[in-house]
Amino acid sequence: MKVRPITTVKTVVADIEEAGRGIKLFTLVDPDRWELPPFKPGAHIDLHLPNGLVRTYSLCNEPADNTRYVIAVKREAEGRGGSRVLHDEVRPGDVIGVSLPRGGMTPDARIARYVFVAGGIGVTPFLSMARHLERTEQAGFTLHLIVREEVPLAAHLGALIEEGRVVVHRTSRTGRPDLAALVGEGGSDTLVACCGPEGMTDDFERQTAAWPAANVHVERFVAPPPVIDPDAKPFTLLLARSGMEIEVRAGQTMLAALQEGGVDVATSCCGGICGACKVGWIEGKPVHRDRILSPYERERYLMVCVVGSDADRLVLDL
Amino acid sequence: MLDTVSAGSAHNATQLGWTGVVRFLHFTPRAFLPMRAAEQINLVAGRGIEGDRYMIGNEEGFYSHKPEEGRQVTLFELETLVALKRDAGIELRPEEHRRNVTVEGVPLNHLVGRRFWLGETLLEATRLSVPCRHIEEITGKAIFDPLINRSGLNCKILQGGLVKVGDIVRNAA
Ligand code: FES
Repeated sequence: MKVRPITTVKTVVADIEEAGRGIKLFTLVDPDRWELPPFKPGAHIDLHLPNGLVRTYSLCNEPADNTRYVIAVKREAEGRGGSRVLHDEVRPGDVIGVSLPRGGMTPDARIARYVFVAGGIGVTPFLSMARHLERTEQAGFTLHLIVREEVPLAAHLGALIEEGRVVVHRTSRTGRPDLAALVGEGGSDTLVACCGPEGMTDDFERQTAAWPAANVHVERFVAPPPVIDPDAKPFTLLLARSGMEIEVRAGQTMLAALQEGGVDVATSCCGGICGACKVGWIEGKPVHRDRILSPYERERYLMVCVVGSDADRLVLDL
Repeated sequence: MLDTVSAGSAHNATQLGWTGVVRFLHFTPRAFLPMRAAEQINLVAGRGIEGDRYMIGNEEGFYSHKPEEGRQVTLFELETLVALKRDAGIELRPEEHRRNVTVEGVPLNHLVGRRFWLGETLLEATRLSVPCRHIEEITGKAIFDPLINRSGLNCKILQGGLVKVGDIVRNAA
């Protein structure tokens, strides 16, 4: 059996629960119920779906619950296809690779109060935060949930609504609430966060423009663009032996591009010190960032885990 | 001259006086998953640690490209954790370096190519471990650079058995 590098955490779908109109909750667990990599309240993961799509979803369980990743997915008939695959094709027992959790909030002792503003299914990242804050009692919070009529994940929010911690604003009855009134006055011990449709997050950003940046947080449905080195440019790899062409996106590592293209390269350190990923190059202008090749070797070899390119095209001896 | 002296002392360190002790034991069945602490682990000769990701024959569990005979069990120095805190201000817990056995008092970097007893098991050190970027991703701590040249030791299991916390580590002449 050929062994491929492992780039995702292997999970299986343990449970799929209907959670309101068009919404399903998926519970992902390790095949042996081992603990999963930890996550911060409000973090998200990428799901590598069976048809090759990669989609980002917020984790909505309490982070202390470390054997499960629970995501809520609304079926978007007109979306880009991820939610349709999950709703229509994925079944309990299916294996789904996920990324390590990213983002979320590091609990900050200086924050005494959190105000969350969510639009519809945008409530998901705040569920894990709300659960975390409820359990740890480290700060108070109010979650304003703005919906047209129906409350998503109603069964999961019920107790919090009763306690008054989640305040539901139904636009079909009362119109759109005044965001400025919901977030109130900025203060250094208050953190406000918003997740919802773009119009809402834009509005929220306007309302909080004068706040200290550290006290304002916006979650967007689409994964935030990765932090890209402003000088990084995309380039094309040509694999001389197979004739294959592979595009390396700006900010992407050559290694990641090769792996995406199904080309196996041995790796170990992924940081330019071990030499496992060394390959020959034939043409181009590699930007070497490894720490072990001699100037002489750099004329012939490069380390795909860290190398960049100064020209549009780089030909590898692969 | 200096070369002869340092080479000589390294030689002595492996030949003569060191006795170490097993401080922590950890394993995990798959890449990326948190390591679990154990009071004892079972080393299977020629294969790996029962339940661990590098157990040969359990291909799924290999993070690296190829199953590697010399990576059946990995060791790490407790002294490195102390140094990391002192020199870089980074607190790394024993489960976070992702090696299986944290030892104290063992000159790991001098053992490559040598045999030594880990409790009742006999190991052969194959090569030094290298730090990997992946460990920064998992821990969220900037430990790649500080761990260069002190990232532990990969070993083959020549004679298996149970290894317990508190076991003695010593040279096999
Ligand atoms: S994987 Fe170690 S140098 Fe690239």
